[in-house]
Order: sequence, then structure tokens, then C-alpha cells
Amino acid sequence: MKSISLYEEKGSVLNKIAPESKILYIVAALVIPYLIGSRWVSLGFIIASILLLLSAKVIRKTVPILGVSGFVLITVLLIQGLFRAGNVTPILSLGPVVFYKEGVNFALGIVINVLNILLSFCVLILTTKPSDMIENFVRKGFSPRFGYVFISIFQIIPQMTETMATITDAQRSRGMETEGNLFIRVKAFIPLISPVVMSSLINTKERALALEVRGFNSTIQKTFLNDEKKIPADKWIQLGMVVAIVAAIVFRIVLVVMYFM
Amino acid sequence: MARIEIEHLKYQYPATTKLALDDISFSVEPGEFIGIIGKNESGKSTLCQAIAGLVPNFYKGSYGGKVMVGEIEVKTVEVNEMCKTVGIVFQNPFNQVTGSKLTVYEEISFGLENMGIPKVEMIKRIDEAMELLDIIKYKDRNPFDLSGGQMQRMAIASIIAMQPEVIILDEPTSQLDPQGREEVFQAVQKLSKKGITIIMVEHNMEKIAQYSDRVVLLNDTKLVAIDTPQKIFSRDDLDSFGVEAPVFTKICRGLHLKNEETGCYPVTLEEASRLFQRLVKEESHNE
Amino acid sequence: MSKIEIKNLHFSYTENEEILKGMDFVLDERSTAIIGQNGAGKTTFVKLLKGLLRPTAGQILLNGADIAGMTVAQLAKHIGMVFQNPNDQIFKNKVIDEIIFGPMQIGMSRAEAEKKAKEAMAFVGIAGREEENPYDLGLSARKLVAIASIVAMDTEVIIFDEPTIAQDYAGKERIKDIIRTLRAQGKTVITIIHDMDFVADTFERAIVFAQGKAILDDSTKNVFAEKEVLEKAYLEQPNVTKLCQKLGYEEVFLNVYEFIEHQRKLG
Repeated sequence: MKSISLYEEKGSVLNKIAPESKILYIVAALVIPYLIGSRWVSLGFIIASILLLLSAKVIRKTVPILGVSGFVLITVLLIQGLFRAGNVTPILSLGPVVFYKEGVNFALGIVINVLNILLSFCVLILTTKPSDMIENFVRKGFSPRFGYVFISIFQIIPQMTETMATITDAQRSRGMETEGNLFIRVKAFIPLISPVVMSSLINTKERALALEVRGFNSTIQKTFLNDEKKIPADKWIQLGMVVAIVAAIVFRIVLVVMYFM
Repeated sequence: MARIEIEHLKYQYPATTKLALDDISFSVEPGEFIGIIGKNESGKSTLCQAIAGLVPNFYKGSYGGKVMVGEIEVKTVEVNEMCKTVGIVFQNPFNQVTGSKLTVYEEISFGLENMGIPKVEMIKRIDEAMELLDIIKYKDRNPFDLSGGQMQRMAIASIIAMQPEVIILDEPTSQLDPQGREEVFQAVQKLSKKGITIIMVEHNMEKIAQYSDRVVLLNDTKLVAIDTPQKIFSRDDLDSFGVEAPVFTKICRGLHLKNEETGCYPVTLEEASRLFQRLVKEESHNE
Repeated sequence: MSKIEIKNLHFSYTENEEILKGMDFVLDERSTAIIGQNGAGKTTFVKLLKGLLRPTAGQILLNGADIAGMTVAQLAKHIGMVFQNPNDQIFKNKVIDEIIFGPMQIGMSRAEAEKKAKEAMAFVGIAGREEENPYDLGLSARKLVAIASIVAMDTEVIIFDEPTIAQDYAGKERIKDIIRTLRAQGKTVITIIHDMDFVADTFERAIVFAQGKAILDDSTKNVFAEKEVLEKAYLEQPNVTKLCQKLGYEEVFLNVYEFIEHQRKLG
């Protein structure tokens, strides 16, 4: 089954804990370094994320994600290191090519931030079943309809690509070129996209009927087949995250107040 | 168990100028197996949806007359309430998959969760429904990975788990291969034996003749007749409604062979072959 | 009259799972139904004929020329295919525009395409509906638009993918007529289909696919007599044939008409 969800069940602790805990972790990983204003804190979170991903046995799945962004980050490092305005202190020269401390330093800041964001999101995305996360939200009062749309997207989009493949075959069978230069591709757009839109509309209507007769719009308090995803430690994890964030805020305020005094 | 009573039902979809159902009246006894036949656009699907309450409560539009299922007047009840009494299964198995569940087992729970059924009861009902539709072996599969016939049985199981008294099936086999069609028919027959009222639209007349207690013949939004398959398929004017008799009936009609007990042409393989075999015996007797 | 030679045809998507496991036969002027359970390789086979997929081994020769040398667009001039669901192809707001699309893609002038389109519309029985919107038509009529849009391309070979699905009695009879007439005009008509009564009534030859092989290839009458082979391929016999066998007849009949004639002769 093709699905665009990256989640994989490995039976790890990260698979078992509440999605909310992981979301709070992301918030902490992004907010705390900013509040404290130190790159070292970001670095600490990067290491923490890597350790978490290792423990969940999903570190290998981050490789393609890091691969794509890695390319961009190296470009940033090169350009900033070589050409950033305000580059004065050379740290490394390879023939005529000279890297400057200021540029490299600035670029490193970006690299660390991006890595921190990516890895902390990976902790959530690679270890959480989307439907578990949404179900937990619905239990907390989130709209089930919105939740449904969000979860079903993960399965319905791959299905739409299959429809798209059939339609492409049907139009090519009528002699239409779909490959080649830009002009050919632009010309092929309408014959391909119109049937996709029309059949999605028909499918959506039929699916709406099918959902309706299974009580989708019922106002009765919903029940759940699956138990809520959480472990006793979740309470403490979440408390810990909140305390850390609050502490960082307090630290920041104190810093600002001290500055003005 | 609920009796279905339809009285002078008239209906027109919004933004259209023609009636989709025109003065339909008939009733269905609890536990009956009813086949609905008629050419395309004769009103079969609309009639199904009127019994399930989607007409008029989902589509809106103008509505006259009355549909009663047991004590419930269909028009006055929300669809999400009505579905506890009348379940409906559609033609395309694919578009009945919710897309929000990762396994067959979870898929069947969708309606039960919405109905607020407690977990213990839910598990019991899902297990029963899977057993009845013979899909336990696909329990942990992704719903989209099933074949058409398996997917359609899952759709039926999802409805059965909600424990309706009536199940409507609107051309449930027309997208399936012969094996898938046979699987669905066997499953439906099992439901019928359990006493659930079955109302089924189907283009395969041999199957309709084989399984139905009575057949509803629609033409141009109107009810032509409701009668036994033998009576319906022996009508001389059948062709004029764009409906084909089962192959066996056509043969016997061509040879002017009526079943003396019913006064009609045979409609199933068994009935026709019994008649032929008796004729052969009688002939050898006479000689 | 076209001839399609299938020589040692193999196909697989992945290395360890072969879909077509070596097929050898020749498609000639006889109208041919390819029958078999889902997953037997029918759809893969017609996609290969259309060049939408390419064989992993073996050849398909169209009138002696290997189609491996032709693009999908070039092949479209010779082999037309009506897809199962008309909604997968319709994109114009007018019936006539939809039907001239294919002919113009394969190089006909607008005037010629319109001429062919009008002929095709008359042929399938939707003459005079040129200006209507295909989406406003009922399912049966929409199917006829799809058929006309392929017929108008005037290819030597026409493939029908499940032509009877979701069709009522009148629709099926219409499609039966279309197929018979195309055959009479000398076109090679091929279908992949599940409806055995329809095959028995309409096609001269049947090829049974099972697990990627053509396990039976003969006149429709002979194929449907092979009850055991059909069962092995999870196929049903036509209803008339079932009755013949139930009555213990040695000869099988394919349709109501043949059966009645036989009985009348018996007296």
C-alpha cells in the first residue's frame, strides 16, 4: 500500500507515548534555544533528537530528508563563507578560494537551526501514526470532521495518483503526446487534469454519501475503537517540557530586565 | 422487525425539471428479499435512497407521499439516525472506503464510533460482522489493498455491524468480476437467512430470479409491478421496459414451455432443467 | 485486415514477479474475447498492445512490424482502445469536440475529423447530439461518446475494456451491434471482459488467460465447452451452456437462439 505517511511501527517507546508529548518536545526544541539565545542549546536539542531517533530505530529514515536539505545547507555554507558582506577574517584558503570566519559563522547558525527543526519534527513524524495523533486531538474536543479530512488525505492522495495514471493512459491511447518539451506538456495539461477533477468530484460525492450513512454527522458523543495513545510517563514528560519552556521564558525576562537596570 | 410501507412517493431532485420518482406505492414484509429492476435512469437508485432517507434528507429537493420503516417516517429522521434501522451499500466499493482507517478491522469500526457504541460492544460487533462476511483473514490488511469483491464485502460488514433491520444494496456487484459477484451474493443470502430484509438493485437477471422473493419493476420513474420473479419475467411486455428476462426464461418462452404449477415460464437454471427433464420423461412414457 | 502476432511475450514490473509468462498466438480477423479472472494478466496484455507498457521479452508484430519501434502516439493510428470508464477520458464541453480530439491527434485535418466524428456518432446511435455537454448525458450515452471517439479515429484494430460494465439491457444490445458491425467492416475487434453471456453471443473466438498464460484458445463454442479448464481459471460458463450441461447434452449451445433451434428440431 502506497501511503504518503512516513510513520513506521517499531514497537519503540516513542511509538507508545502520546503524540502530544512529542509535539511539546518540538515546541521546546524550537522555543528554548531562541529564548536563551544560544546556539549550544540548539546543538543540545539536535543531539537529543538524534538519540531519540536512534532509540526508535528510525534514524535511517532521516537520511533522505537530510540528504535533500543537506545539499541546500552546504550551498548556504559555501556562499556565505565565501561572499558574505562583512567577511574580513580568513580561516581557510584553498588556492584563490578563501573562506571567512564571519560568513561561516553566520551560515553555521542557519545550519544548526534548520537541522534542529528537521530532526525534532522527525521525532514526531517518523514515530507517530497520523490517525493516533488526530484521534487524541478529537478526544480533546477537536472537530471530528476536520480530523477526518486530515487523516484521509494520507490515503486518498495516493489513490488519486492512480486515477491520474489511468487517465494518462486513456489520453495517450488517443494519440496525445504527454512527454517531450514544455509546450507539449502544457498542451497535455487540460486533457489530463479535467477528467481528474471531474472524477474526484464524483468520487467525493459518493464517499460523502457513504460516510453519511455510517453516522458521520451524528451528534452523539463519539467512542473510539483504539485506546488513547499514552503511557503513565507522558504526564511527567509533558510537565517537564512545560517547566523547561517556562524556565526559558523566565530566564529571558530576567535577562531583559537586567539589561534595562 | 420493521415492515416497509411506501405510499404515493413522489420526488424531484433540486435544480431538475422532471420527477425522479412518480407516485410509487408498495410494501415489503420483514425478512423479504426484494429485487429492483428497470433500465438505467428508471429510478432504481433514487428509490433505494428514499428508503434509506438520503432522499430527501441528504439531497433536499421536493418530496411528496410517505415512506414508513416500522414506526419511523423516514423523511422526519436525520440520516445519521436512520442508518441504525436501514443500511445502504453502494455500487463502487472503492468510494465506500473511508480512507481514514488503516486496517479492515478499524474500517468496520467507523460507523460504530460515530454511533457512540462502547468499545467492548464494538469489538463484539466487528468480529460478528467479519465472521458473517467471511473477511476475518483480511482483518489487518489495508482496506485499499483488497480486491473488489473483498472490498465490497467489507463495505457490507461495515453496515451490518451497525445492526440495521433492512439492508439496501444498490448494484453492489456491477463493478466486480464473476468471482467477486458470487462472493457478494453468497454473503447477501446469508444475511437474508438471518432474517434481515434485503432490497437489491441488480442488472444480472439470472441472479435476481434466483434470490428474490419478489421483484419490483420500475420504468420511467413509475412502478410497473411488484410480484414474484416468475410472474414478472413471464410478462409479455417486459421488453418494452428495457428489461431482459433471465436466459432460462427466454429459452422456455421461445419453446412455449410453462411450468404448470406456477402458470409461468421458469426463471432459474434449476426450474428450467427440472421442466426439461420432466418433459423428456413424459415423452419416453408416451412412446 | 490486420494481423497481430504475439511471440513469446513476457512482462514483469519487478524482477521476481512475472505478470505475463510467455504468450504465443496470432490475433486475426475473428472478433476475440480475452477472458480470465482479475489478476490473470488481461489488462497488462492490452496495455502492451497499446505500447503503454513494453515487454520484458518477446515481440508484438502488427502486420509484420515490431511495435517496439513505434511510440504510443504512432500506435494510436493503428490500434484504438475504449477504456472501461468514459469519465477517464472526457474533458471537452461539447460531444463533437470530445470525439474529434483523437482523430486530430493522429493527424487528420479538422474537416476530415469532423466528418469521421459525425459518421461515428451516427454509427453508435448518438447522431444530432454534437452540441450537448458530455457530462449532462447519462452513463449509457456517455459510454457511446467514448466509443465514438475511438471509432472516429478509424483504426484497424479496436480494443474494448469491459464494454458492458454498468450498462443496462439496451446499452448492452447497442454495444453488441457496434462490435458485430465493426467486425463486418473488417476491423479487428478485441475485448477483455467478464460477461460470459455477452461473449457467447458476440465473439467468435475466446482466449482464456490464467496466471499470466493463455491456457485455452479456440472458437467461443469450444472454449465454453471446457468446463474443467474454465473452473480452474475461476470462470463461469454462459447460462445457456450451463443448462445444456445440466441436461446432459453432448453439444453445447452458446445462446438462447441456438438452443431453441436445436429443441425445435428435436420436435
